[in-house]
Amino acid sequence: MKPTTAMTARIITIALSTFVAFLALVAVAGAHPEGRDSGAPATGDTAAFAWLHPGVVPAGWTTRRLAGSPARLSAPPGWRAAAGDPGTETMVLRAPSGHIIGYLNATPRQGGERAADWPSFRLDHNRDEGLRKDTLLAAAGDLQFRSGTGSCVLDSYTTSTGNRYREIACLVVGRTATTVIVAAAPPSRWAAEAPLLDRAVSDFIT
Amino acid sequence: MLVVQVRKVAAALAITALIGGGATSAAFAQTHRHHHHHGIPQHNGGDHDSDNNGGPSDGDGNT
Repeated sequence: MKPTTAMTARIITIALSTFVAFLALVAVAGAHPEGRDSGAPATGDTAAFAWLHPGVVPAGWTTRRLAGSPARLSAPPGWRAAAGDPGTETMVLRAPSGHIIGYLNATPRQGGERAADWPSFRLDHNRDEGLRKDTLLAAAGDLQFRSGTGSCVLDSYTTSTGNRYREIACLVVGRTATTVIVAAAPPSRWAAEAPLLDRAVSDFIT
Repeated sequence: MLVVQVRKVAAALAITALIGGGATSAAFAQTHRHHHHHGIPQHNGGDHDSDNNGGPSDGDGNT
């Protein structure tokens, strides 16, 4: 090999190696923007889910386990089990009129739900269910739950009969099961029910 | 020699691309493959979910 060729090769190698090193640094910084060594950092509008603090189920709450699943849904005193799809659990709080003013549901992952596109999936699904005026208020991913990592949305919609609800809907990926937990209440009741709904979501296990 | 070095750099680039792909995986995709069905009629026509009766939407994927 001529000296000029060797020199050219060395220059190309150094330049490309420097470029590779730069890309690697950018990639690592993007994966761990907070410098954490374990667990992916939460992404998206994390402030909207700052209430999520996995903890112990408060005394007096009712816990129901999903059939054939490690998932467990807990609800405050006064809430009652309601009918739902097989393999799911639903707990509701009703006004004297019978209107649902608090709603909790846990449903095993059924197919297309993925953390990567959970917000678009959920809103698309809600439209399929006949819900209208579904507005995405916030979304975040890689949120820490008691037994896994979740992607969550906060949105508001109108049902086919004109009732308006706000919901927290999270796809939680556990070690052996992936489950959706939904917590909802009418916007007019949100301020009153949100602390209990937040607690129920925080205590959810899958 | 030049060919060998270029191959090494190309391999390093490929590995870096894989790392970079992992770094962006946490971001939400804007759309998803719309493959779930419109299978449960409203107004209690299918199962007995609250969302079939004007109540809140449950967590089913409706596949």
